[in-house]
Amino acid sequence: MRDLIEALRDLKESEVNELVENRIAEGVSPLEIIAACNEGMVAVGELFSQNKYFISQLIFSAEILKGVMKRLDPLLKGQAPASTDKKVVIGTVKGDIHDIGKNIVGTLLRGSGFDVVDLGVDVPADRFVTAVKQSGAKVLGMSALLNFTYPEMKNVVDAVIEAGLRDKVRIIIGGAPVNEQVREYAGADHYASDAVSGVKLCKDVYA
Amino acid sequence: MSPEETKQLFNQRLGRYQAAIALEPTDRIPIATGSNYFAEIYSGNTQQQTLYDPQKWLEAEEIFIRDFPEIDVLRNNRIYGPLYDAIDCKTYRLPGRDLPPDTQFQFVEKEYMKPDEYDILIDDPKRFLFDCFLPRVLGEFAEKGTPRSYIAFLKAGMAQMMMGQVMRNRAVYLEQTHGMPQPMTGAFLAPFDVIADAMRGLTGIMTDLYRCPEKLKAACEVVVHEIANFALATADPFRRYPIFVPTHKAMFLSPEQFDEFYWPSFKKTIEILIEAGYTVRAYLEGDWSAHLHRLRELPKGKVVCDIDSQGDIFTAKEILGGYQCIAGGVKDSQLILGTPQQMRSHVKLLCETVGKDGGFMISGGCNFPYTTKAENLRALIDAVLEFGVYDSSISPQPRKPDPQRQAVPGLEPQQMLTPWASKLSELGGVQGDEALIRTSWEQLESMAYNWMWQWVM
Repeated sequence: MRDLIEALRDLKESEVNELVENRIAEGVSPLEIIAACNEGMVAVGELFSQNKYFISQLIFSAEILKGVMKRLDPLLKGQAPASTDKKVVIGTVKGDIHDIGKNIVGTLLRGSGFDVVDLGVDVPADRFVTAVKQSGAKVLGMSALLNFTYPEMKNVVDAVIEAGLRDKVRIIIGGAPVNEQVREYAGADHYASDAVSGVKLCKDVYA
Repeated sequence: MSPEETKQLFNQRLGRYQAAIALEPTDRIPIATGSNYFAEIYSGNTQQQTLYDPQKWLEAEEIFIRDFPEIDVLRNNRIYGPLYDAIDCKTYRLPGRDLPPDTQFQFVEKEYMKPDEYDILIDDPKRFLFDCFLPRVLGEFAEKGTPRSYIAFLKAGMAQMMMGQVMRNRAVYLEQTHGMPQPMTGAFLAPFDVIADAMRGLTGIMTDLYRCPEKLKAACEVVVHEIANFALATADPFRRYPIFVPTHKAMFLSPEQFDEFYWPSFKKTIEILIEAGYTVRAYLEGDWSAHLHRLRELPKGKVVCDIDSQGDIFTAKEILGGYQCIAGGVKDSQLILGTPQQMRSHVKLLCETVGKDGGFMISGGCNFPYTTKAENLRALIDAVLEFGVYDSSISPQPRKPDPQRQAVPGLEPQQMLTPWASKLSELGGVQGDEALIRTSWEQLESMAYNWMWQWVM
């Protein structure tokens, strides 16, 4: 599977598709193919951390993966990937409807074996709280593009405190207008400067 | 203020602003953000009112000017709600309409162009607009040919004229009553962003980089002329103010992708506008550190580069110092969450470093946010007055207004849907002075053509 992992890492879409077809023809199980693809995605993330890849490459790798999953989906029949207890709740906070950053994080998390509860955009505090409660996720990730959302991030943290969940969940914030100063104001645990560092923080929580 | 004093104040502000752009000496660092969101709602009005009630918007800014008279520019040309409603523009959610009245307007990206439509765009941009793009992006045009769609175009044309009048009146009022110039007039997008923002969307454009790179490049080349003509049509006829270009997708690209796909057509567009006698104010969204050096290829002192909150103003100065003016230095979070003491020491640092040799104007990351704390903005201004003075003996004066139209080498002529020659042949000639008829015909054709292109913004 080295060739498939490397083809995905190098963003060679047609090569990836060809290799996937070959593996299917050889009778390799779809779950094994998915595992190799996930490894390729991890390699993409590493290149991003080393500043060798940029967001364009993260997005395209996710598109290649999407194509592969579409091809494999009918073959999976019941052999769902082993369910995981590594759960992460993510969403864009209330008032903001942007989702580019959040979606990249979601794709990378899934690629790294996380079960992602994506609440979408314009998510009010109580929905974050309910999702954390119901899923038992140990990580709550908040995203925003617009800078008027700082108080809303604080609201969510306060709502988590009020629900008595603060010591059960690690809160990470990310997005264009967010930085250490905003983290401190909102009372979150971490600020992730990009998608890959956000995924790394999630891995640390579940390590 | 007497009219003479107001005029003096206007000249001083504009002269200071223009000198910073041109990298020339002036009296102090200009306080000149591109978008002063904070001013727009300073009176306590809603963000819906800014977009729907020009009088309320103006009143908010008048109170702002009273309290912060040291500000050097205030922008015009916000979204005009009635126009967007008349045609049902899908790319924006507006406060009071689709969003709570106190929320910021927001751009909504979707795939309004299919990946197999590049050839149509390249071969015939007019056909592409009418058959592919506009019916999807303008809700009232979805059912072409219906009475409702005709009336919608008529209404939107009228709304456009209303908007033009609102903006013109505002500009004149701010100039003559408050001596307040504008940071920019007119706008355009980088050709890559024209295709990326409203046509293909982020995921679409990122896959096109790999799946149809040559078509994407060819389409960017075609768009250069459309968007450059659009920019010139919307610019200040007197060439006092820069033309605005917000960049959006460069921040996502690798340096190699930027050099291959984004920069060539963007550079060509800016060169055309500079050739036409204009300067440009470019909002470099996100972190442009890997691309900034390219702006050194343009004529010096012609492009104001707004450095975003995620960028680094010190790196920008290192790369662009002596080449282009940079704007920024204060992060959104510092204006919203910081304290006046922190602001004062930060602005002092900016004045003593990036501001030292000119070519710098102080701003947030392209804007002063809606939720800026007034005391932080006050501290910013006071610190500029204390630490940002170069030479108080200089009395800044603006350049002479230059209303001359000139043909620009390298720019294809303004396209029209029905060129005069076609009309003339339909008429079978005219009996009187042809020029009298032709001039207005072409003026209206140009206005209508550029009206169509605005929906890519």
